[in-house]
Amino acid sequence: MKRMIAAILLIAVAAVGGFAQEKVTLTVMNYQQADQAGYPEDVKIWQDFQAANPDITLNIEVLFNDPYHQKLQAYAAAGTMPDVFYVWPGARSAVIHEKKLAKDLNQLLGAAYLKDFSASATNPANQLGGYMAMLPQSFTYTSVMYVNTKLLADNGFKPPKTYADLKKMVPKLKAKGIAVAMLPNKDAWPMQSCLFSTVVGRMAGDDFLDAILAGKAKFTDKPFVAALEVIQNLYKDGILSREDVQIGYGEAAGMFASGKAAIYIDGDWRAGAYITDKASGKALISPAAQDKDFALMPFPAIPGEKNRGVVSAVAGTGWAVSASLPAGSAKEKAATRLIQYLYSNDVQAIRFNTGAYVPTRKGVKADVEPLVAKVPVFYAENPATCYVIDGVLDPAVYNVINDGLIAIGLGTKTAAQVAAETQAAFESWKASK
Amino acid sequence: MSDEIKTTALGRIGGAAAKAAAYAMMLLFTAMTLYPIFWLIMNSFKSTREFQVSQLAFPKEPTLSNYVEAWKMGDFGLLFPNSLIYTIGATVGIVFVSLLAGFAFAKIASRATKPIYNGFVIGILITAQSLMIPLFLEVNLLGIYNTRFAVLLVYIGTGLPIGVYLATEYIKAIPSALIESARIDGASFWRIFAKIIVPMSMPVAVTLSILNISNIWNEFALINILVSRTELKSLPLGIYKFSGSLSTDYGKQFAALTIGMVPMLLFYIVFRKQITRGVAAGAVKG
Repeated sequence: MKRMIAAILLIAVAAVGGFAQEKVTLTVMNYQQADQAGYPEDVKIWQDFQAANPDITLNIEVLFNDPYHQKLQAYAAAGTMPDVFYVWPGARSAVIHEKKLAKDLNQLLGAAYLKDFSASATNPANQLGGYMAMLPQSFTYTSVMYVNTKLLADNGFKPPKTYADLKKMVPKLKAKGIAVAMLPNKDAWPMQSCLFSTVVGRMAGDDFLDAILAGKAKFTDKPFVAALEVIQNLYKDGILSREDVQIGYGEAAGMFASGKAAIYIDGDWRAGAYITDKASGKALISPAAQDKDFALMPFPAIPGEKNRGVVSAVAGTGWAVSASLPAGSAKEKAATRLIQYLYSNDVQAIRFNTGAYVPTRKGVKADVEPLVAKVPVFYAENPATCYVIDGVLDPAVYNVINDGLIAIGLGTKTAAQVAAETQAAFESWKASK
Repeated sequence: MSDEIKTTALGRIGGAAAKAAAYAMMLLFTAMTLYPIFWLIMNSFKSTREFQVSQLAFPKEPTLSNYVEAWKMGDFGLLFPNSLIYTIGATVGIVFVSLLAGFAFAKIASRATKPIYNGFVIGILITAQSLMIPLFLEVNLLGIYNTRFAVLLVYIGTGLPIGVYLATEYIKAIPSALIESARIDGASFWRIFAKIIVPMSMPVAVTLSILNISNIWNEFALINILVSRTELKSLPLGIYKFSGSLSTDYGKQFAALTIGMVPMLLFYIVFRKQITRGVAAGAVKG
């Protein structure tokens, strides 16, 4: 009898032990900038997960910008990837995609979960490795015109629909010390990313860039030179000021908000700079003014454009799970739970609310300020997209384009010269491969 | 007026003009150095909104909240003591080992001296960036990743090439007769090191300290790959959280940068005489 009781007790203890939740520790690499809008919300997102999941301990390493990528490279070289980490869909996180260091989220999350995300986000073709190494949280339009419609109306203008409309504004606005359009390019990348990519999409198209990459076309061919000439003309016609080349990226938002330009050209993410700062309760543009005095528009029609109205866009960043986690393991289950939380409706609504981005998750509702609310409307009105140059070309090539666009801005180089230099850089990069 | 008087007067005017030009130049360079520091500190007391509309004016409503927030968000309370530990620990280690090695290389001749010395000195040519991945693999292999010990070890190791070079060259100039006399009197090498080499090498020790204190205090690339836990990180890692092209909160960014800069400014202000003397003494060996 005693033996039987002991056996029953032993089984009971084993069963309780077996059913008790296994404590799992996940290492996470988070990409977080402390002085960016949405920082306190981001901190809370992680705290909430910890509180709601006591069986999972998160060891979070927080880095930002180049140090993040350097550390990720070190982890990749050592073969000790964190369990969950933040990645780019393209060249910025090339090592992850090329070495397949992240699990295929298509398999891990499953079609039933992914059906709630936009098709562009779940399309593996939008990622460098051709598989779903990460799930883009957003699909970013890198070229948006923020238009001060009130300033234009006060001066007798309507929002521009053609290049000629822009040109017409120059004499009157210039006389008042107001720039027609502003695109700060001291940091070199904004012109390429926020306007030139769209212009190349319009004048040449993605097929042309594909043909260049395949060696079937050249940067010195007419369509690419024509795109550079559009930028050249923007400065020559006075639509953009040559002084923009001296303006830092961070300075321009305040200048536009204070009425120094009628139009500001940037990516959709910049809407977040104008909304109310949660800490101070102040906004560069008040919500009421955002609603009635400002509009988001694509760059107007360019004479000779081949692809009407296309706007440059790229899949945004997102989360990945280390490929080294054993399938079906407790760690993999915990990582999946964390990923599902990060992409949940609630978390994505918080991100949307801070103006960080418009989520790829469908149907996310948030109480956003008018300017941020205009971003998804802009997406819907401009469904035709084209490549962002720094998303498809190597830095060795697009850096030459960036520098060339600065030289065009300063008037020190012609479109043909920049095209020739880009072709030379491309050939030397190809030879080095 | 005689020609002689004319020449003297012209010479005086020329001398005064040259002096004025020299002072003007020095004033210009001083302004170029100090103005960015002044600008940074001034703007660290403005709210981001105020900074965006007026970047050159004095703050209308000065606020300390940027500092309070930046201190909290950057975990500076944790990172500050770490920076002190790494800076002081590694500097002491570098100076001590450099003097020891310098003594051996300069005064205790052996066949192995030259190759070992060259082995150390060649390290001057190796950049921190090229060491990052191998070091990461090594500390992982040794099981010391995420430890203060690894950080100190790497900092001391990377500081030694220049340290050993400077110390050896300096100690070479100390008369060998002193060491030989002490040996004849029965002093051990340790005693000679402690009683003769260290006191006579103080100028180069100060130079090494100055070089290393500012280098280690600001070091970023290596510690970034040596630790991942916040409680082991140093100040530059915290400050970097505030710098990016998409940053929107300039007030906190400037406050964080000021927090990182002030200790080095104070270090310079307090030790400026020793720094100037040390650099000069270390630069002209012996």
